[in-house]
Amino acid sequence: MSVLKNKATNSLLKSEKASLLRFFILYVTMSSVLLMLLALFYYQTQEKLFLAHQRATLTKYAYIQTKRLKVLHHYFSERKVYPRDERFKSAIYDIDRKKIFSLLEDERIRFHEDIYISDNHIHFVKSLDVYFLGAKYMVLEIKDDGAWRTEIWQSIMWYAILAFILFLLFGLYLTKLFLKPMRDSIVLLDRFIKDTTHELNTPLSAILANIEMMDTDVMVEKNKKKLMRINIAAKTVSTLYKDLTYLTLEQEKANNDEILNLKHIILDRVEYFDILAKSKNLSFKLKLDEANIVMDRRKFVRVLDNLISNAIKYNVRGGSIEIELREGYLFVKDSGIGIAEEQIPFMFDRYMRFNQNEGGFGVGLSIVKKIIEEYEMKIEVFSKEKVGTKMVILW
Amino acid sequence: MVKKIVILVIFTSLLQAENIYEKNCIPCHRRLPTSLQQMYMAYLASYSGEKNVKTILRYYLKHPTQSLSAMSELFTDSYGIKEPTTLSNEKLDKAIDIYWEKFKVFDKLE
Repeated sequence: MSVLKNKATNSLLKSEKASLLRFFILYVTMSSVLLMLLALFYYQTQEKLFLAHQRATLTKYAYIQTKRLKVLHHYFSERKVYPRDERFKSAIYDIDRKKIFSLLEDERIRFHEDIYISDNHIHFVKSLDVYFLGAKYMVLEIKDDGAWRTEIWQSIMWYAILAFILFLLFGLYLTKLFLKPMRDSIVLLDRFIKDTTHELNTPLSAILANIEMMDTDVMVEKNKKKLMRINIAAKTVSTLYKDLTYLTLEQEKANNDEILNLKHIILDRVEYFDILAKSKNLSFKLKLDEANIVMDRRKFVRVLDNLISNAIKYNVRGGSIEIELREGYLFVKDSGIGIAEEQIPFMFDRYMRFNQNEGGFGVGLSIVKKIIEEYEMKIEVFSKEKVGTKMVILW
Repeated sequence: MVKKIVILVIFTSLLQAENIYEKNCIPCHRRLPTSLQQMYMAYLASYSGEKNVKTILRYYLKHPTQSLSAMSELFTDSYGIKEPTTLSNEKLDKAIDIYWEKFKVFDKLE
């Protein structure tokens, strides 16, 4: 199915990022462990191969040395000089592994292994059939400079890096597959919202315009109340409509930045929302200094509308909304239901709603976050359940 | 004074022990073409360690047979198998210890 995408859906949600990160860490850890095991297996194989080559040489030396021991054994009454060879060092041990004679530099012998590497030496333990000079074991020692080991590790490192890159690329491909169903659902929802909002514009404008034009002075009290309720409902839908159109259409438009007098805008928006606040018996407490910001008016209004709208929506009946403004600092605080601390990091995610009793799509705060980030501002959330939430904007 | 007495006692006992080996082994072997050292090397080549060699020597001297001897059949056919030893176990062990110490390879190689 072909689905439309916009800039918003291309960016990852926080919950998506968390899932992605967890999957990626697990994947990279598993790949690393697998690569390490393979490297270890390869190293051990290479070491065995190297020792097999050395065994062939040392077997030849052992044969020569055995012949020399045989001669010395038969002429022991006349000769006592142990045979030496510049190619290797050797030692002989009796059946009880007691040293008869040794020229070895490293005398820590592992009699149960026929060939092994000990520090910088290779030891070859040969069990003799005839015990010349009483020797059951002959141990040959040659130096190991470790060059072969360096060579193996170098090749392992190259292969491991190459394999790791391949694993990483495969991991990215898997991640895309992993996220596709989630992403497709979001894109579909976006498309649905885009199509439906377009149809809302005309009737909503007509309702709001007609409410403004109505002469309430000639109305009876009962009708005035009814009109007020229509006005509240229409404004709620209007806020939602503006958020949705912003998300689907307007955010792509170029910014028209100007110096904004924030105090005027806040007073204007408070007046706009006043009727909604009054419907819940909420009171505004304003402490507004003069403050300016260079920003697109449309976008600042979206931020403010969403903060005030949320403060009304999630407030308790008869509560209050505090708004404080000074240069570089604005906060909107409600006395509402609050939000659990562990949910705060996810409250800016799109379509994220923590309270199913209230209406909405869960897009308001994702718009706020997007605009705040676009203008390199900062937003901080302080919330306590059943006490309230304070949203602070710094710039 | 005490030190001198101890040294004297040890020396005397060694001398006495040596007598056991020299008295009971050398006279018979003197007549044979193969020296005691050559026989020692033959046993060493067959049995390796001190414990093994001493054990087999002790057993052979008590129950001499061709199969236990380190010497060839040609040798035993020519010179026969010795008679079982009449030495007590203690004296036999001492004689074997002296024999081992006299011809052992340990500490002699350069």
